[in-house]
Amino acid sequence: MKRIITLTVNGEPVEGAVEPNRTLLSFLREDLGLTGAKHGCGLGDCGACTVILDGKPVNSCLVLAVQADGREVLTIEGLADNGKLHPIQEAFIETGAIQCGFCSPGMILSAKALLDESPKPTETEIRTAISGNLCRCTGYQKIVEAILAAAGTAQGKEVS
Amino acid sequence: MGDRPAGVIGEKVERIGSRERLLGKASFAADIDLPEAVHLVAVRSERPHARIVGIDVSRAQHISECLRVFTAEDVPGRNRVGIIRKDQPLLADDKVRCIGDPVALVAAETLEAAREAAAAIRVEYEDISALFDPEEALRPGAPLVHADGNLLGRRTVKRGNPEAAFKHADVVVERVYTTAHLEHAYLEPDAGLGYMDGSTLVIHASTQNPHYDQKDVAELLGLDEGSVRIIQAATGGGFGSKLDLNVQGFVGLAAYLLNRPARMVYTREEAFLCTPKRHPLTIAYKSAANRDGRLLAADIRVVGDTGAYASYGPAVLNRVALHATGPYELPNLFVESVLAYTNNPTAGAMRGFGVPQIAFAHESQMDLLAAALGMSPLEIRLRNCYRIGSLTASGQELTGSVGIRATLDAVAPQYAAAVRERNGTVSGHIRRGVGIGSMMYGIGNTGQQNPATAHLELTLDGGVVLYSGAADVGQGSSTVLAQIAAAELGLQPEAIRTVIADTLLTTSAGATSASRQTYISGNAVLDAARKLKEVLLTEAADMLKFDRAKVILEHGSVRAVRDADRSVSFAEIARRCHKLGMPLKWQGFFDPDTTPLDLETGQGVPYATYAFATHVAEVSVDTLTGEVRCLRVVAAHDVGKAVNPQGVHGQICGGVAMGIGFALMEEFVPGQTESLKDYHIPSAADMPEVIPIIVEDPEPTGPFGAKGVGEPALVPTAPAILNAIADALGVRIYDLPAGLERVLQAALSARKP
Repeated sequence: MKRIITLTVNGEPVEGAVEPNRTLLSFLREDLGLTGAKHGCGLGDCGACTVILDGKPVNSCLVLAVQADGREVLTIEGLADNGKLHPIQEAFIETGAIQCGFCSPGMILSAKALLDESPKPTETEIRTAISGNLCRCTGYQKIVEAILAAAGTAQGKEVS
Repeated sequence: MGDRPAGVIGEKVERIGSRERLLGKASFAADIDLPEAVHLVAVRSERPHARIVGIDVSRAQHISECLRVFTAEDVPGRNRVGIIRKDQPLLADDKVRCIGDPVALVAAETLEAAREAAAAIRVEYEDISALFDPEEALRPGAPLVHADGNLLGRRTVKRGNPEAAFKHADVVVERVYTTAHLEHAYLEPDAGLGYMDGSTLVIHASTQNPHYDQKDVAELLGLDEGSVRIIQAATGGGFGSKLDLNVQGFVGLAAYLLNRPARMVYTREEAFLCTPKRHPLTIAYKSAANRDGRLLAADIRVVGDTGAYASYGPAVLNRVALHATGPYELPNLFVESVLAYTNNPTAGAMRGFGVPQIAFAHESQMDLLAAALGMSPLEIRLRNCYRIGSLTASGQELTGSVGIRATLDAVAPQYAAAVRERNGTVSGHIRRGVGIGSMMYGIGNTGQQNPATAHLELTLDGGVVLYSGAADVGQGSSTVLAQIAAAELGLQPEAIRTVIADTLLTTSAGATSASRQTYISGNAVLDAARKLKEVLLTEAADMLKFDRAKVILEHGSVRAVRDADRSVSFAEIARRCHKLGMPLKWQGFFDPDTTPLDLETGQGVPYATYAFATHVAEVSVDTLTGEVRCLRVVAAHDVGKAVNPQGVHGQICGGVAMGIGFALMEEFVPGQTESLKDYHIPSAADMPEVIPIIVEDPEPTGPFGAKGVGEPALVPTAPAILNAIADALGVRIYDLPAGLERVLQAALSARKP
């Protein structure tokens, strides 16, 4: 038995008919074609499916689509402003924080939620905020640098 | 060389593909969909070793949306895959050899129906005694995993007279080391989409080697290679696992036989269950030195579990034997490396091909010898490390780019500072420790040809297109190859358009493995660039009526050295060549200079060049809980030349993370470990500060002096951490991972009087 849901996705009103057991991730990817959120594990372990729901980062594989009814969702596709990259996205390019890029959308949205809440986080706060977003390529160092840079508190640490 | 633009080699450039990834627009295989695609789910064995008596698909066929169930009989071509040895069925025929072996494949209109149908299929098995231990598998009379025996292979390396040398040694240390199965845990679970485009089967794959995929899929289906096109989708990491086929054979079979698009996406649990693992090894290591700390002899015997199928086992076997001494001169040597088939999960390629495991052993031995001699760990490495003129384990003379000493020198100040800091930190049950780990790593495949090709094309509008079959799985090879082409052609990397890893449009670059693409594909690209450059200079000189030796390339034009106004654009040259019928697309080729190894002694030239590295790790160990915190890792890598330093830093930081996982937390227990919920990889909160140090001892045969760094980045971390734990506790751990229990046990035994 499908249910009609209405929500705001990346600033646009969206309506959908979903089975009550559909996840928000599956609704975004399959019904809306927003494939920026990734299915990495389906258990909330990896964070690749992170989106921002009413200002908070959530694992969209653990949220039912019906739970998003009436609420506001931001996915990676909605972060850039008319093609202009968000400062976090810019910083990811600048610091080389992207390798395979599979974790990047979720990672960036966790970072955005953090910076919205706490514009000048410490490195420890950043590491804690993204500890639910796994990355196997980068060792996180350049990701942390990127988030620090985006927050305007960059501290260079590399020597070469 | 004066016409090479600044800001190309050794400079920061934007990674190719970054922007689309940041915008969520990059198409990974699971992101590509065709509305009419059928969904595939495999039925997998729950038995480790059993004969298949029958497969009852009748209940599945009654599910309305189930289209078809495929079994081995439906495979039209050769039902065997494998890059080195064709021993793995796409769908099990006579028997299953491990839990997770695919027995049937369901195609349905929806994923739900496919899962329901798969669950409805009944397979009748007759169990066969199963083997889970490689030593047991090698005993006479053991049940056979494959008809021709359980020995996958044996490699020996022999030099000098170890027996005699041991007799004259001042210290001899003999220990046994073990390592566990590891899961690659790339973030993107394997996925693919296949469809027919006329008579061509097209597959979008998450892969490290599209040209191999093309061959094996073609042979599975009984097609000629030209009828199969593999296009690498954006790939979310591989680390060796995606060198083997994952879903390519399945989506190919279904798309071809149903003449409908077919998609398959592994769940995380499926990726854990049925993709290759890192080889667990048991390493018996005996080594000896004289009182000056010079290594005299080693006797090293390695037995490993290769699981149900060969995969990259033969490569691991060889690499372990040839890297068993580490970056040290050892005149008297016996190494034996043996891998056996068992009914455990297949072990294959995983970042380093066995070298991370053997490095744990050789670096522990170095510290043990140093301790026995009262020598510092740094000093014993300095006394024994390779230099120009050294002979390796295979008797190969090193003639250039031997940067091991430079990496030791590079970390020496930090090592000394860390030791001072450790000595000044006394805090009850928290102990501090400092450790060193060094390594060498042969670039490219072992003792065999492993060429790469690449093409550069000048387009009529004056643009340059780089065609390479080298799969970029996140490590950044496309960017490095574009930099190399740009540098040679006087362009900025952004000016090069890249066409990558599509078997229709690109020729083979070989596998993205063995840290080989910068060196081998880089050289192939450079070769193509030189050919194109030659044409550009010759034609321009002719057009400008100017001396060929006095024209240079600059920003898409060729001009007279001393007269910037006398110039002709790439577009003008292209149009002229086109008119004259001259080719505008040039092929480059490179195959590293190697020789096959002697079967008995393992002597030969297995690699054309080697990377070297040294890491220093600082840890704190809680002796009450067994918790180890890695506080800092200093990582010095001789990469020859860092074409893209930011990329090299990225590889090093990522390698250190994987090394920390290998050292402290990662273990895949066959039959138990299911997913990321019970297999923990380091999170951002687990990672210490990493200080990457790039050492550049240029490789004379490398493109602009470059070698490689992908796998070396990981290798020294775990040895450094284990040496640091031993330094902290005064007791050494010989089995990885050094999880809480092992560390606590070591701490308790250290406290005993």
